[in-house]
Amino acid sequence: MPNEQKAGVLQGTLDLMVLQTVATLGPLHGYAISARIEHVSGGAIQLNMGSLYPGLLRLEQRGFIRAQWDRTETNRRARYYSITAAGRRQLQTEKTEWARMTAIIQAVLKGDAS
Amino acid sequence: MRFRLREWWLRWRESFRHRDGSETEEELRFHLEMAEQDAVRRGQDAREARLRAGGVAQAAEAVRDQFIIPWLSDFLRDSRHGVRLLRRSPLFTAAAIVSLALGIGANTAIFTLIDAVLLRMMPVQEPGRLVQFGRDLSFPKFRHFRQELRCFTDMFAHSSLGRRDIIFDEDPEPASLEFVSGNYYSVLGVSTFAGRTFDSDIDRSPTAVAVISHAYWKRRFALDPSAIGRAFRWNSRSFTIIGIASPEFTGVVPGKLAEITLPLSMAGEVLGDPGRLTGYQVNWLESMGRLRAGYTIEMAQAEVATIYSRMIHTEAEQQKGNEFQRRKILAQRMPLEASGNGFDFLRFRFAEPLRLLMGIVALILLIACVNLANLLLGRATTRRREIAVRLAMGAGRGRVLRQMLAEGILLAAAAGILGVLLAWWSANALVTMMSNGGEPIALSLRPDLRVLAFAAAISAVACLLFSLAPAIQVTRHGIQPALAEARSGARWRWGRGLITAQVAISVLLVIGAGLFGSTLLRLYSLETGFHRDDVTLISVKTDRAGLQGHALRGSILESLRSMPGVATASFEMSPLSYKGWEMGARVEGYTYGPNEDMHVHVNFIAEDYFRTLSIPVIQGREFNERDTAASPKVVVVNEAFARRYFQGQSPLGKWLGFTGPDRMEIVGMVKDVRSRSLRGEIPAAVYVDAVQANRPPSGVYIVRGAGIAGIVDSALKRVDTRLRATDVRTLDEDLSRSILRERILGTLSGLFGALSLILVSVGVYGVMAFQVARRQKEIGIRMALGARPVQVTAMVLAETAVPVGAGVAVGVAGALGLTRLAEKMLYGVAPTDPVTFAGASGILILLALLAAYLPSRRAARMSPVETLRCD
Repeated sequence: MPNEQKAGVLQGTLDLMVLQTVATLGPLHGYAISARIEHVSGGAIQLNMGSLYPGLLRLEQRGFIRAQWDRTETNRRARYYSITAAGRRQLQTEKTEWARMTAIIQAVLKGDAS
Repeated sequence: MRFRLREWWLRWRESFRHRDGSETEEELRFHLEMAEQDAVRRGQDAREARLRAGGVAQAAEAVRDQFIIPWLSDFLRDSRHGVRLLRRSPLFTAAAIVSLALGIGANTAIFTLIDAVLLRMMPVQEPGRLVQFGRDLSFPKFRHFRQELRCFTDMFAHSSLGRRDIIFDEDPEPASLEFVSGNYYSVLGVSTFAGRTFDSDIDRSPTAVAVISHAYWKRRFALDPSAIGRAFRWNSRSFTIIGIASPEFTGVVPGKLAEITLPLSMAGEVLGDPGRLTGYQVNWLESMGRLRAGYTIEMAQAEVATIYSRMIHTEAEQQKGNEFQRRKILAQRMPLEASGNGFDFLRFRFAEPLRLLMGIVALILLIACVNLANLLLGRATTRRREIAVRLAMGAGRGRVLRQMLAEGILLAAAAGILGVLLAWWSANALVTMMSNGGEPIALSLRPDLRVLAFAAAISAVACLLFSLAPAIQVTRHGIQPALAEARSGARWRWGRGLITAQVAISVLLVIGAGLFGSTLLRLYSLETGFHRDDVTLISVKTDRAGLQGHALRGSILESLRSMPGVATASFEMSPLSYKGWEMGARVEGYTYGPNEDMHVHVNFIAEDYFRTLSIPVIQGREFNERDTAASPKVVVVNEAFARRYFQGQSPLGKWLGFTGPDRMEIVGMVKDVRSRSLRGEIPAAVYVDAVQANRPPSGVYIVRGAGIAGIVDSALKRVDTRLRATDVRTLDEDLSRSILRERILGTLSGLFGALSLILVSVGVYGVMAFQVARRQKEIGIRMALGARPVQVTAMVLAETAVPVGAGVAVGVAGALGLTRLAEKMLYGVAPTDPVTFAGASGILILLALLAAYLPSRRAARMSPVETLRCD
């Protein structure tokens, strides 16, 4: 059970990070998303394909992102992901929720220390 | 939540489609390339970047699992695989489905009946709070209870009249009538579909109105709303229809239609019997109460018992002189019973047989499952290598099990559907058999949700039984032994177990069939004391005829006797199949014990009665034309009567009397005759000449002769055109109606016993054929070394005999314990009847050896060279 919960949290944060990335940078292919998250997190978060692509598919199935085949600058075929209107709304609620949760946890942790 | 739903819907949908994973792979490969390029650009190790990104195959697998619902997709693929396998062997598939469908169908059919008769609640308000009185009440008692009881919010009374002739326009037409108390519909909580129900004070102020059932409205009026306000005549009273009950409600007696309800306060007037309403001891009403909130049935029982004991004490006081009657009354109890499913009548007659049949069909299903398990195991064993290879290549054992289960699910589903159809058909046939010429039994046998759920559940259980066991068996050993083509000794152990189980169950069923069958035979061949061939019973509707009473009976008899083909004709009040009539008698010259039961069996008969039934008159004479209402009163008694009162001496010239002041002389003695349901002791009986009865008795006409059914109508018409024959049946038919339960049990248990024998033969054959095929090589070597064919056959038969013998032993032991439970339903045969037990065992041993003989002969005929060459 604890494992599952942890996975749930991680899955939630992965969704949040992916949505945020696609929302700010526009259509990106999978590698670009993972590279961006790795870069922004200062190399702390390295996504392997086995969790990134099922996650992207899940977001697509839920209607938060849309996928399309397109050409890269070097004229290679790649799948580009962009955020949908539902995805934007979802991102907003999740962000608020995340902020609320971290604030609560922080408050609790501070209270614990004193 | 909405988004989750969308996700699952897409995954569900995709599970049914073929998916091309090439795009995913392209995407993943692109990812890897980009990762490498990036690493190279940054001057890092490309290989490390690649490792960090992960493997394409694993990621593709993860994406696939997200794309679809993995177990569903697997199941679908397995099913397709299963369908292909099943289609490759259509004979196997058909045999498997049919035998399983028979099992499921039989179970569902019996369950449908049990559901309709025993389980289903009436479509009324809170049926669980309805409680029924175990004895009939008189109207004053009903009112008394209704006034006194605190435990019920209210209680109602009702009495079925059965089918009666009513007249709307000109011609009489039959309808099922029922008398009910005014609060009948309100206590049940049944609303009207149209119109209104009875007024609450109708029990006090009788009004000639009627409420009809929705079904009757449909049948008689074709749903014409103008039916309300129509009037019909019954017994020369006119009743006006004031309402139609709601469509779901079919009455409170399961299996009996109540088409028209009349206020019971009309009963006195319309039946010409005021005692119906005033008589304290005229118990004719069935009654049900609705428990008040907070009361349990036990609390109600206690309250009812208190009031009832007061009632019977008052009643007993009035019987001061007769100690026997007094005790009899005081011994009465008034049990209460939960009755959310209606008054028992079918429940009383068929609950036990139905439960028994349920047990029998469950065993049939078990045999069918065992057979199927065996067949599937045979197939699984031939697929052992394939399965071992799959296990070796990393397929989980669970995955392989599921694959094998899919095949089972397909078979079970097909058999389940077929079984439900079979059940629907046979349940209706069974109900027809149960009503058997009498009043039709109206049971709603639509397979409702519960029946379908039941069928689905037993199919599922069956499926688990027969497909999981072999699957576990085959995958248990994992990779090693199978790849090494280990000897399938385990399989033989299995096969032996299956044979033992099947034979045991079948022995049990055949023994049961034997016992019920001999019960039936014994009842049929019973020495009844009279000749049954060529005797016809005729019930006649006389209420509209001009003549009545003795004169009418005389005319009808005269007319019948004058018809061609009629040898003799007579009349009696209680046909042999009926519950007889009992009266207290004073036999002169006999000293009664203080508490002796004075009742004797009494039948009112016309002249020529004994001649018509060929009952021998042992002493004296039977009634003739010289016995009239005015002549000295005479009676005829049976041998049992003479034994009881005169120690076997001649009863002629002795006298006896009933409740009235009349003394009657015994002028004849006849041979004992079995009556009622053919069982039990023959009671002391007195035959009274109908002509000499104070009130003309009603009854049936009996005719000896050929082709009677054809002449009845014209014989009656000659007397009065308004006479109508309501029931014409031979004496044989009449008697067989009285042993209906035994007939149903005898026939069905025989049928199921035979079915089990077929299934067992197939099972034994299957196991032994496989066993012989497996040992071809060994047998070949034996024969090459000089074993003769007979020896080979003997070896196979000997191998079969062991599990069969074990099965017979287990079955006989089980039967010894179980048949005792059915003792009450048997007649003339002990529950441990050695002949039946031996016979059943013999049949099974013989059949099993025969089934094993076929493969053994094949083995013995094989040429050794051929067998050694194969494989």
